[in-house]
Amino acid sequence: MASVTLSNVQKSYGKTAVIHGVDVEIADGEFVVLVGPSGCGKSTLLRMIAGLETITGGEVLIGDRVVNDLEPKDRDIAMVFQNYALYPHMTVAANMGFSLEHRGTSKAEIGKRVKWAAEILGLSEMLERYPRQLSGGQRQRVAMGRAIVRDPQVFLFDEPLSNLDAKLRVVMRGEIKSLHQRLKTTTIYVTHDQIEAMTMADKIVVLNGGRVEQIGAPLDLYDRPANKFVAGFIGSPAMNFIPGEITANGFAADGVLLPLPETAHDLSPRPMLYGIRPEHFALTSDGIAATVELVEPMGSETQVTMLLGGTPVIGAFRERVRAEPGETIHVRPEIASVHLFDGDSGRRAN
Amino acid sequence: MRGELSPGAKVAIYGLMSVLLIPFVFPTWWMITSSVKPISDIFAFPPDLIPRRVDFSTYAQVFELQPFARQYWNSAYIAAVVTAGTMLFSSMAGYAFARIRFPFANALFMVVLLGLLIPSEVTIVPLFQMFLAWDMINTHWPLILVPIFGAPSVFATFVMRQFFIALPAELEEAARVDGLGRFKIFWTIALPLARPALAAVGIFTFLHSWNLYLEPIVFLSSPEMFTLPQALTQYTDAYGGAMWNIQLAAATLTAVPVLIVFIIAQKQFVEGLAHTGLKG
Repeated sequence: MASVTLSNVQKSYGKTAVIHGVDVEIADGEFVVLVGPSGCGKSTLLRMIAGLETITGGEVLIGDRVVNDLEPKDRDIAMVFQNYALYPHMTVAANMGFSLEHRGTSKAEIGKRVKWAAEILGLSEMLERYPRQLSGGQRQRVAMGRAIVRDPQVFLFDEPLSNLDAKLRVVMRGEIKSLHQRLKTTTIYVTHDQIEAMTMADKIVVLNGGRVEQIGAPLDLYDRPANKFVAGFIGSPAMNFIPGEITANGFAADGVLLPLPETAHDLSPRPMLYGIRPEHFALTSDGIAATVELVEPMGSETQVTMLLGGTPVIGAFRERVRAEPGETIHVRPEIASVHLFDGDSGRRAN
Repeated sequence: MRGELSPGAKVAIYGLMSVLLIPFVFPTWWMITSSVKPISDIFAFPPDLIPRRVDFSTYAQVFELQPFARQYWNSAYIAAVVTAGTMLFSSMAGYAFARIRFPFANALFMVVLLGLLIPSEVTIVPLFQMFLAWDMINTHWPLILVPIFGAPSVFATFVMRQFFIALPAELEEAARVDGLGRFKIFWTIALPLARPALAAVGIFTFLHSWNLYLEPIVFLSSPEMFTLPQALTQYTDAYGGAMWNIQLAAATLTAVPVLIVFIIAQKQFVEGLAHTGLKG
């Protein structure tokens, strides 16, 4: 196990810069998720840590070693790929033991380690099968087994669950998390799925356009997003943004006056975005009038798309909402959960 | 069910296929049956599909008139060496063109492909001069070196490149993380996965070498060094007339390995063609 430090890491393809100086500290044994939309550079960053991409600038340290110029095999990392990357012509046991065999580990030791990993991952009965004879979830386990038999300093996961169906993804998410809790190996995990990030990470690094938008614990990011991008990316359904201006009486948006939190009272009047998560609306008879556009019962909650003044927003209510499109309901934003973002820069203002 | 043919359509299709089969099957049948006929029966009209008189002594004469066993061995070992050499070099070249980024890779590949456009008849005289200078005339070296580094190998390189291009990059990356260098990735990961393409290359190359005719008649002059296609032309009487039944017996023996190879490996042959996106 080891810490991982990214210090002003940059990546360019010719003149096109794709990673613009990323600084991240990952503590020994930490589970860090790199999350962001497609093309944000998260996989590139992971591949730079793995040694599969060259580093244009800055330094990558694993433990105390600068690994910029080391081959992947010399970095003491193991990687789980999006498409599993199992060797199709080798059995499960051969796949799992391949790297050890190549490193000259004795057959007895390889057998012992493969058996140990197979037991952890529930693969003991499948060791003589070929990858083509396995389901998606089993292949994913073999890919993880291949990584853990090596007992590396760092695990790297590159969107490992994206090829699985929704139900299996939830199961495997839990398995990866419990595997980390058991092995306590430093883990860097790339995903574009913010739910995966929220549920698995000790720390989340939100990336956008090759830059770090925010680093923090999942709930910190959820409760106090640093900017509009993070606020919109973390949370599902996404946070509502209502453009308007701070006035002495409250937040003046298109056709509606919204209440402001105490933290906003010192802010000078200027264009702002009023951010409120769908679950932070409450149904109330004396609230702000909103016109229902769409009602989506989810079972555990009901999502209502509604027009608040002239702005469409989504509310998520624990109650069963039985309104029809066109009807008026009354809602109240939870003032303590209101986020204000600068209208120009998108930075958090309160 | 969608795609299911009606019985009438099936009969029509199988009937048509049977008719189309005749031009392919009849020559082979005629060759085999004529090899055991007396020479006077071979050109009888109408031809006998089933020989009226059978004479297997033609097969014995094949070996009496020429060192046919030696010639058979010549063809066999040359084809084996050429096949192994072509599979090795074309797979390495194909892998390099497909997976290794180096300057002018595509331009170089185009230059290599241009080799396919040059007919072997055009290069035969310069090749003769070259091998004469190297003192390799009336040896088997030209029959081994020319196919391994010539047009057949270019085609094989193309087939292998097409296969390796489709190989997922993640497999190689996983191998790099597992500690393998470039050659080991090729040898232990890429090559075993390329078996269908390799099989196709092997069959193509073996057939090409086995059937090679122009090069042997240019480079070889003594019967002990002859290969089979060249040897077949030597079964003539004192007046230079063909000894048809003996020649056809030799031809039948010559065709046996080809048929065996094709029957055993026809699945890989078709798969290999599918990989290249080419027709045969």
